[in-house]
Amino acid sequence: MAYAYLFKYIIIGDTGVGKSCLLLQFTDKRFQPVHDLTIGVEFGARMITIDGKQIKLQIWDTAGQESFRSITRSYYRGAAGALLVYDITRRDTFNHLTTWLEDARQHSNSNMVIMLIGNKSDLESRREVKKEEGEAFAREHGLIFMETSAKTASNVEEAFINTAKEIYEKIQEGVFDINNEANGIKIGPQHPTTNSTLSGSQGGQQPGGGCC
Amino acid sequence: MSENEASAAEGPGEAAEIRDASPTDTPDSSSPTAPDSLTDVAPTRKARRRPETITAAEVEETPKAEEQPAKTTSESTVSQGGWGYWGSWGKSILSTATATVATVGQGLTQVIEKAETSLGIPSPTEVSAQVEEEQKQQGSSPADDAGSEKDKAVGDGSSAVGSAMGMLSSLTSVVQSTGKTVITGGLDALEFIGKKTMDVIAEGDPGFKKTKGLMNRNATLSQVLREAKEREELQTAQTEMSESEKKVVAHYGMLFDEFQGLSHLEALEILSRESESKVKSVLTTLSGDKRVQLREELDHIKESFSLVEFDDEEVDEKKDEDGSEFDRDISEALEGLSVSATANKLSKACKNACSQITHMTQPEKEEEESEGDGNKAASVEEVHAAAIRSLAELTARSIELFHKLAETILFSSSSTDASLLSQLTVVLCKEISLLSKKFTSCLTTAGSNEKGDVLNPLITGVFLEASNSASYIQDAFQLLMPILEISHIQRRAESSEQ
Repeated sequence: MAYAYLFKYIIIGDTGVGKSCLLLQFTDKRFQPVHDLTIGVEFGARMITIDGKQIKLQIWDTAGQESFRSITRSYYRGAAGALLVYDITRRDTFNHLTTWLEDARQHSNSNMVIMLIGNKSDLESRREVKKEEGEAFAREHGLIFMETSAKTASNVEEAFINTAKEIYEKIQEGVFDINNEANGIKIGPQHPTTNSTLSGSQGGQQPGGGCC
Repeated sequence: MSENEASAAEGPGEAAEIRDASPTDTPDSSSPTAPDSLTDVAPTRKARRRPETITAAEVEETPKAEEQPAKTTSESTVSQGGWGYWGSWGKSILSTATATVATVGQGLTQVIEKAETSLGIPSPTEVSAQVEEEQKQQGSSPADDAGSEKDKAVGDGSSAVGSAMGMLSSLTSVVQSTGKTVITGGLDALEFIGKKTMDVIAEGDPGFKKTKGLMNRNATLSQVLREAKEREELQTAQTEMSESEKKVVAHYGMLFDEFQGLSHLEALEILSRESESKVKSVLTTLSGDKRVQLREELDHIKESFSLVEFDDEEVDEKKDEDGSEFDRDISEALEGLSVSATANKLSKACKNACSQITHMTQPEKEEEESEGDGNKAASVEEVHAAAIRSLAELTARSIELFHKLAETILFSSSSTDASLLSQLTVVLCKEISLLSKKFTSCLTTAGSNEKGDVLNPLITGVFLEASNSASYIQDAFQLLMPILEISHIQRRAESSEQ
């Protein structure tokens, strides 16, 4: 159960593109065709191995509905990775990507790794957005890109893991300050010394409830 | 575990020792207690297990021992009424401390002696005499005020300070600062004893470490819990290497995280923090009468958050066999708040726990009659593991519920009555208390053939985690306050626009 690092992810994108399904496929390896609307945020967690190191992914699956936007934005902060999802069978979800991206960049740290995901790749016959378009958008905005299917599990594993690899590389390069929790990275419990600095550095922050 | 080294004497009788903690005393000097006092003490009521408050409780308890050295645990639990205007917080802290004391059992004499000898600290009698002397010497120094306050309070239990405390019983900050005042007022030695005792207790009881973790006052609740979880993870990793015969060990913190309790708590803290700063910035933009008026309205909301009371003496062990009453209470409390999905999860968790208890109680009885000892030893640990797991799950689901409530409140523009939320908190804490009672009586039955030094730490563990659970739930409830405030401000703005 012990892990070397913990990465916080957020999953964002229009409602109905399959965010919760991607998470369920990744954490539970199953597909649920009908999913309740996500309220605010839901969570998932899974352990993966990169470079022989155990990494725990803590995934915040946000609600896609516009009306929840002001709440979900609060959760962007402190994420190391983001999965920005659109539905290849609905062009409007692709068109909204710019807004999502701006939102994400504005409310999170600048080093956050963003993976663009064109979901529902199993529905080839209903495709409205070409793969090349997704690739082009990703290139233009400096994102990683993948087409996935939460239903068939195609590329789902890869999407989550490749994002983690990118984050891990950034840590190795020293881009991420792992002692700053606002980057969405925590060091696992086997580094007691670093851990105490972690909690110490955050200790100065405003405690959530003790205002009365 | 230090308890294991002690003799196998009955826990409760020994527990009186802490009150009578002079090193010259032998365990025999305390009168025996009814065995059921073990299960009588339920630490979850208003269980603010902040170390400061516990220290304060010990401060109260120790001088009391001088007056009535022969008090037994059960008697002193009853006699709490005599503390008069210290009111419910004093009472609950006392009983919390008593529970810890009673259930830690035979380890305690040793603990006290260890604490005292290792520190060279004088007996309580000497200490209080010393305090008095210090007061005289210090004359008009600032410490004098607090010191004499303490004297009044301890002396007749009906000081003005005490009565004020009773009214503000659930304002932790008040409790904490009072604790501090009392302590800083010339009672450093007692504080030291208290802390040292906690340290020594913690040595023998891993569960206590979490409580100790709460000493870090600057940390947010989720940090505290995460650190606890990480410690447990480390521990598990280490024990896996060193001891292969390690059996089923239940780690509350890890389980709490597994049920996504930590994540929901973190998210709730984010929302709470943001709402709080929004409220502040709104207040700074207003001026004059408008600000005064809004302040008043917000104070009204705050009131509902400071009046959470629940008395778990009302909690009846026999009640709610299958969790259906809880289900009803919860749906009642949540009427009109659209969080049914989460509430269902919570009810399910509760029902699971109840059915587990039923399962564990019945086969156990049969076993006793037919097979005799059988695999009793394992079942005590199983009961303990089930108890910790249930508490962790129920607490995680409760936090999840509060988080979902926060999101729904922020999302919808309808007004939410704070008193509903406090009612909900009471229901949840009662359920935790009830479950812990059921589980511990289950433990007592399962471990009827066990020695005290096996059974007592397990029972203590359940009570401690139940107590921690209740305070996490109450802390999470407090996190909702800024959210209701900002929601109120938003509704206000909307109605004035129209």
